[in-house]
Order: sequence, then C-alpha cells, then structure tokens
Amino acid sequence: MVDEARTVERAAWRGAVAAARDEGFAFLDWLSAVDRTYDEAAPGYDVVCHLYDVRSPGALRGLLLTTRLADGEALPSVTGVFPGAAWHERETHEMFGIDVEGFDDGTGLGLRPLLLPDGFEGTPLRKSFQLAARASRPWPGGKEPGEGHESSRSPSRRRVQAPGVPPPEWGPR
Amino acid sequence: MSVDLPTPKVGPVSRYAPKPVRVVLNWGRRYSLWVFNFGLACCAIEFIATSMGRHDFIRLGVIPFAPGPRQADLMVVSGTVTDKMAPAIRRLYDQMPEPKYVISFGACSNSGGPYWDSYSVTKGVDQIVPVDVYVPGCPPRPEALLQGIIRLQEKIADERLSGPAIAARRAGRFAGHRAATAADVTRGLVARP
Repeated sequence: MVDEARTVERAAWRGAVAAARDEGFAFLDWLSAVDRTYDEAAPGYDVVCHLYDVRSPGALRGLLLTTRLADGEALPSVTGVFPGAAWHERETHEMFGIDVEGFDDGTGLGLRPLLLPDGFEGTPLRKSFQLAARASRPWPGGKEPGEGHESSRSPSRRRVQAPGVPPPEWGPR
Repeated sequence: MSVDLPTPKVGPVSRYAPKPVRVVLNWGRRYSLWVFNFGLACCAIEFIATSMGRHDFIRLGVIPFAPGPRQADLMVVSGTVTDKMAPAIRRLYDQMPEPKYVISFGACSNSGGPYWDSYSVTKGVDQIVPVDVYVPGCPPRPEALLQGIIRLQEKIADERLSGPAIAARRAGRFAGHRAATAADVTRGLVARP
C-alpha cells in the first residue's frame, strides 16, 4: 500500500529515511532493490524502502522511498535509523551485489550472506545473472511456451528471451 | 558421523525363512509405516488433507505425526526443496532407522517443478536422498498420495529379508557422491548479538 512516494538522491537517502521516521512513518515494512540497468537514461539499481505510519488504527499510511544507484555505487546504510533494516540490507547486498556503507547490525561482522546457501557465488536477482540450470540440465519437454510437442502446431509463437535465460553461446540446449 | 542403524533382524535364521514367514514379516512392515512429513510448501497441505478424515491414510497403516525422524519408517518430502534446506533433509534422513523409505510428493520435490531453473531450488530431492516412489502432480491430489503409498507397500511386500538382499538395498543409499554426513551440515550455535 503506497499513499505517498518520494524519490531522493543517493546522498540524501539516510536523511530522507530518518525524516520520514520522524514524520510518523516509524514502521519499516521492507527494503529491497530493483534492477534498472536496462534504463538507458540512468542505468543502475533502484533501492526501495517501504514504511508505514501506524499511529491511527484503521488508517494505515504507506510511504515508498526510492533512490537510484549507479552500478558500483554504495548505498548509505539506514541501520542507524531502523536497526531492523540490517537483514534487508544484507539481503539486498547478496541478491543484487550492492555495497552498503556504514552498515552496523551490532555484531561487528559486517555484510555477510543471509539467505543464500554456503558457497553460493553470484548475485541471483540481477538481470544479468544466468540461470545455469537451463544450460546444464537436460529437461524433457519444452522450456518455453511454444516449444516441446506442441510446437509444430503453434509455430507463430514468439520465442521468449527473458532475463536470466542463457544466450546461445552457452551451448546447445 | 551419519547415523547408520542396521535393519532389525528377526534372528540369525531369518534369511532362511520360508516364503510364508516372509510374507508375514513383510505384511507387518508394510502396514505399520510411521510417516515423517517433510512439508516444505503447498504440497504439505495436500499431505495433511490425506491424513484427515476423508482420505484417511491411517486405514492403509500409515501413521502420521511420528515424534521425529528417529521413530519414523517413511519420509514424505512434500514441497520445494531448496539448496539451503537440502543438508537438513539429508541429516534427518540419516537419523531415520532402517528400513526406511522415501516418497517424493509433488513436482517440486520430484524435479524442481516450476522452479526447476531457479538459482536456489534443488533439482529433485533424489539428488540428496534415495527416493522409492515419486508422486507426480502440482500439487498431487490426496488420492495420488494414497496410490503412491500403495505402490510403496507393494514394493515392501516384494522385499527379500536375507542379509545379502538387505545389503543390496542399502548399497545405493550411502553412495559417496551424495553422502552428506551430519558433520557436514553441523554448525556452531549462533551467539546472540
């Protein structure tokens, strides 16, 4: 639920979150990122933070804060504002490979994997991440709409080339 | 160290048991399957539906709600197995005493299902533990699980009880490429920050 949306610069990120909390949006719902590397005007990653104002029962207000990071830029941490953002920032870090500066969750261990299995390499929620299972695992039947035993009957269907689908140079599939 | 409990024996001469005795022993085993539900996703709801009054797999001798894997004969893996969960499945499987059986319930635990190309989903629980019966469906209906249980019971009824036959059955279960001992998946306690 979004009643209000604000877009801020990267430098103003921490201040904007702190200001929103002081306005009454004191409940951190979630924080994550969106891959916008396909946006030619400003390629990068949108970091999105959703806050709730829970002061008046029956009249929740949601606030969506967004900032655009260029690839390689670090996100200013908001763990000083909402300590609970530590998990979200760790997840954003491991899923998108976004660095977080000033991250402090009280353990002194810094940014470390949260959800991915041990030894996992890569940042799976980036659009550039290839789903290697498609290249390495033989699969019976069609992988995409229009393939498989029905394909002869629907030859006009456009082949889907979704992000993550390994391109032909990954080998025959 | 993985828990490697031997199959309970009925005495040293059980391997020479005549066929009628074997039938009786297998009959006892097939109709007393304490089941351990490894419910990981929506298929677990279908499993629960199968255990309730309408479908009622207790009438087939399948007894749900074993106190834990150490008291169970059958593990039903129902739901999406992720790489993060895989060591835990292997560990709990290793804790089950012999003879033990596994039913893979639903498309996800059979092969990864609709998430087969995901970065985090295991492509079938049979990569971790040996599976006796696969139940297809997404999710399968409770009747499909009943059919899977009947198939497993037919399989148990055909089992031979001699020592070599038991060894042959156990041979594939501890193959090196898939052996994940409990030590592999143990980690230290997480200290409170």
